[in-house]
Formats: sequence, structure tokens, C-alpha cells
Amino acid sequence: MRHEIISPTEATTYRAGELIADLLAPGDVVSLSGDLGAGKTCLVKGVSAGLGVIENVTSPTFNIMLEHHGRLELFHFDLYRLERAEQLEDIDFYGTTEAGGVSFIEWGERFPEALPEDHLSVDILIGDDDSRLIVLSPSGPRASALAEDWSAAVLSDVGA
Amino acid sequence: MSAIRRMTPEDLNAVLGIEAASFGAPWTRALFEDELARENDRVWLVAGDDDALVGFGGIMLAPDGAHIMDLAVTPEARRLGVARGLMLHLAREAADRGVARMTLEVGAGNTAALALYASLGFTATGLRPRYYDDTGEDAVIMWADTARPAAILAAERGEDLVLAIESSCDETAASVMRGGTEILSSVVATQVDFHARFGGVVPEIASRKHTEAIVGVIDEALERAGVTLVDLDALAITYGPGLIGALVVGVAYAKGLALGTGLPLVGVNHLEGHIFASKLADPELEPPLIALVVSGGHTSLVHVPAWGEYHTLGSTLDDAAGEAFDKVAKLVGIGYPGGPAISRLAEQGNPAAIPFPRAMLHSGDYDFSLSGLKTAVITYVRKEEAAGRTIHLPDLAASFQAAVIDVQVAKAVRAATEYDVRHFCLGGGVAANTALREALRSALADNGVRLSVPPFSLCTDNAAMIAAAAHFRLTRGAFLELNAEATASLPLGV
Repeated sequence: MRHEIISPTEATTYRAGELIADLLAPGDVVSLSGDLGAGKTCLVKGVSAGLGVIENVTSPTFNIMLEHHGRLELFHFDLYRLERAEQLEDIDFYGTTEAGGVSFIEWGERFPEALPEDHLSVDILIGDDDSRLIVLSPSGPRASALAEDWSAAVLSDVGA
Repeated sequence: MSAIRRMTPEDLNAVLGIEAASFGAPWTRALFEDELARENDRVWLVAGDDDALVGFGGIMLAPDGAHIMDLAVTPEARRLGVARGLMLHLAREAADRGVARMTLEVGAGNTAALALYASLGFTATGLRPRYYDDTGEDAVIMWADTARPAAILAAERGEDLVLAIESSCDETAASVMRGGTEILSSVVATQVDFHARFGGVVPEIASRKHTEAIVGVIDEALERAGVTLVDLDALAITYGPGLIGALVVGVAYAKGLALGTGLPLVGVNHLEGHIFASKLADPELEPPLIALVVSGGHTSLVHVPAWGEYHTLGSTLDDAAGEAFDKVAKLVGIGYPGGPAISRLAEQGNPAAIPFPRAMLHSGDYDFSLSGLKTAVITYVRKEEAAGRTIHLPDLAASFQAAVIDVQVAKAVRAATEYDVRHFCLGGGVAANTALREALRSALADNGVRLSVPPFSLCTDNAAMIAAAAHFRLTRGAFLELNAEATASLPLGV
């Protein structure tokens, strides 16, 4: 089932990332889409903070994949520069996403066939007033549970 | 360094004096005479002037390698590099006779000697308990490839021939350099003539493309330099930071080459390479200095109090400068790579037309943030389009570029002032941006700081800069072990 999270500011997008971090389990895969500047990296910065990663999370556009060590291993992909699905083999995409950490994949929708059966697609839409609409489309039972728990956590966090 | 030459029987009086002053159980004259008589499998050297020897050392050439028999320096001349010089020359003698390995024992408590041997490429491989009869001290057994000290000696003489390989991102590159300054060849796989010659190989993020290109690029570098692998003193490789899939290709190839040839391997940090690119192009550049490395993947401000010492003052918290240029260029549809396209457009635009934010300008630290600027440009474009207005691209490009440059320049000047340096160097692909170079040059000059910017071919990724950094590392005896791995987030200063 589709869920939606309304994020009025960059800070709330970051906070949403912190909230999903508490719910993540080894092997979770989250695909992030949204225009340039929508806040994909900002969301992952929140996830990283929530997982207790100490170092700063920078954009993985150049390196394609950056790895961070927190409560769980965080694999932060950006497939922006990839042109063909075969290149996923070159960056050990499959081995990495199955390595027991959690994977956040910016521009993951470019290679839908490469995503595991059970994954959560997150689309960040830019609103007219700089707010963001975060649309969660889960595939599979694990992703459905994650989406439900995450939107519930965001709702109960309001005003906290 | 003292003059070093072969030991003769006439030196024995002085040698015995140094021996007695150095060891509790010194060798006798008869032992030394016996050693000097064995010309086939012994090499004995002395250091100092004819009338005032300050040290000596000797090796036995055994089937398993060259064994250091004895090494001593007068108490007055210790810590002046005499022992180091003797060791380097002994290793050179062994290497010249085709002896690949060298070994010694040293007292486990002799920390100064242990440090010296480690700096020459020796590693501890075992312990002989209570080896020394007079003191009962344990001996540490150390081994080194003779090629390591031989390469160090070559580097100290400015004669080292190094083959460097760089594959940290999109470019596959190789270079042969002599003495850390003389570029005998520098091949980058995106060069047009290379394409023509090797059938249009365009390296990209795919490791496969590096794999396809690397053999040809290295062969080309050797051929253009007019040398073969046997002429080399050392190999150098970029082992981080960068794209892991790309780095591993170069690192694996370099390790294989080192194993196959017996050449010592030097590991270089990619950002250190960019700093040495400036040194290569500008011999007058001297630390203490501040370096700004700006490229598609890096935005780092580094304090270099001395060559080989790096303190990263700040870096980007999100997007690299080159990445911001690329993304804005893509947004407004003016092509890839974005840097040249935007700077060309910006020349006809008004940098004050659109007040984009100067992120982190007053943050009080040396970090950068370019994500907010990118978002501001996107928001501006969206609002203008929604209002039905046509975007004046030159003004947009000029205003965006000015916002990037203002912050870089302000932080650069503040770092130069705080660390009181007279030299500043700029490196990385974004250094090609004329507006950035000129703004930096003028602002630094106002503060009495001189800016070095290498030519474009040395700003973008290349292997000559890796060879230059490797030469410096060789003089310090900093080698990369063959079990070392490519490290995507390798910090500067390791």
C-alpha cells in the first residue's frame, strides 16, 4: 500500500531519515527518486545520523557508492552516472546490496530490474512552496511493513 | 652524507676503533682481515674522509640473500645519516650483483636502529631469543628487498626512474618520471591520439574499461619514455581515494607488476598527487602552504606545513564543486562536462544578476556546502519557468559561478592568513576555471600570498603527479606492502 509523508522543510526530510533509521533491518533496500535538489542526499544524511554514523555523508555521485559504518552498514549508492545495467556488475551492486547492510540507492529507478523483489521505492516530489511530498511505494512484505511503520513514526513524531 | 667507498686493509686501524667504541664484544683484526680477503662473497664499505672514518659496514652474499655482517658508526657521528647511507650503498651493491633480498639482526631494544631499518623498507620477520652473548638481549630478524633501499638511494640522488599508474576515477593513466621532476612520458587514456591508436577506448566508470585500457596505457608510457621495466627503480600506484571499482584495477595491476618484476611499490594518495602536480609545475612552490583541490569528486582545503605532512582543514559536506557545475549544467541543458560549459556562458553574463546563497561563507570553519546552492539554482529555474519568463542563461551561469567562487576564495584567503603561509596551490579539474583562478590569484596577492596553478594537463587526473609524489615518498622509504588494498575513502596523511 502506498503511503505519503509531507515534509515542509529540509530539516523535516532529515528527521524523516532519522526515523526510518530506527526501523531498518539488515538487507533492507530503499530506492530513492526525485529531481535534482529534491533532498535525496538530505534524507540519507538523516538515515546516517539515525544509524549512529560518525563521519559526514557526502554526495556519492562521483564515487557511485559510499559505505558508512553505523549500527548497520549503510551503503549509499548514486546511479546517476551509470548508463547501462551491466555497469552495476562493475560496481558490485548485487554483492553489496546482499551483504547484510542497508542500501539507499539514489536514482535507483533508472534500473528497476536491478532492484531486489522486496524493496521500498521512495519518490520525493517538490511542492510549489518548497515543501516535499515523500511517496512510499513498497514491493514485497518487508518493504510494506517498513513503509507502514515509517509513516506511522513520522506522524507520531509531529510536534514531539 | 659522508663519502662512501670500499674498505681496504689500510682502514683497519680506524675500523677497529669504531668497532670497539660501538660493541661490548667487538670483532678482532683477524676477523676483519679474513673478511676483506673474501672478495667473491663479501662487500665492505667505509664512510667518511680518508683521515677520519666515521662508520663502516659489510655484507655477506649468501644464497638466500645478503646478510649484514656488521655496521657501526662513531658515537660523534651518529644520527647524521651515516648508517643510513652505508645501508643504502650496501643494498645497491647487493642488488647490482643480482641479490634480491637482504637481512640483518638488531637488538630488540635498539629503537633507533629499528626505526632506521624500517625506514629503509625492512620488516621484522622473527626473533632470536637471548641472541647477544654479552647482554642477553633478544635479536629481531629483519628482511628487505634490496630493490627498496636501492630505489631510495636512486631517489636521493635524483636518478630514480618511476612508473606511476593512476586509475582512481574515469581516466586510466601512466607516467614514467626521472628524479621526481623530469616527465619522460605521461599518458592519459582519454587522449585523442591514444584513441586513434587503440581503437577508441573511452574509459568510464566501468572497471572493465580500465582493465581494457591499462596494459596499452602502460606500454605506451614505457615506449614514449624509451625505457623498459628492467630500467625502472620503482612502481607507484594511486590506492585511494576514489571509485573503488576503478581503484582496484590499477592496484591489482601494480601489485602483479611489482611481484613479477621485483620492483618496490609506492602507494600514493590521489589528493597528495594533485598537490604534487603544483610542485611539479612550479619548483619555487615551498611549504608551508595551503592547497585547494577542487574537482568532480573532491573539494578539499589542506594545510601542508612540510612536504609529506597534510592537515585537511575542510572539505565539502555534500557535493563537490565540479559535481555542482555538472548538475547545474544538466539542469539547464547545456551539456556535459558542466564546468567548461558554464564558465563559457558566464563570460557573457552578469555575476550579480541573481543573488544565489553563499553557503558556509560565515560558518567559521573551512568546510564547504554546495548542495544548497544547487537547490537554489533549481528553485530559481522552476519559479522563472512557472512565471513564464525566459531564463537568461549567461546571467544564471555567471551568478552561480560567482557564488561558488566567492566562498572558495574567502576560505582560501582566511586559511592562508590563519596559517601564515606565503604559498598557495590550486589543483583538480575545476582549477581550469579561469574566473576561479583569477579571483583566487588576485585575492591572495592582496594578502601577499603567491598562487601556483599547474597547466591544465596536470590539473586533471594524470599519472605524472602520482610519480612526483612517489619520488618524495621514496626518499622517505614509504612503500606499499603487497597486501595493501585500494581504499575508496583513503584519508590524506596516512
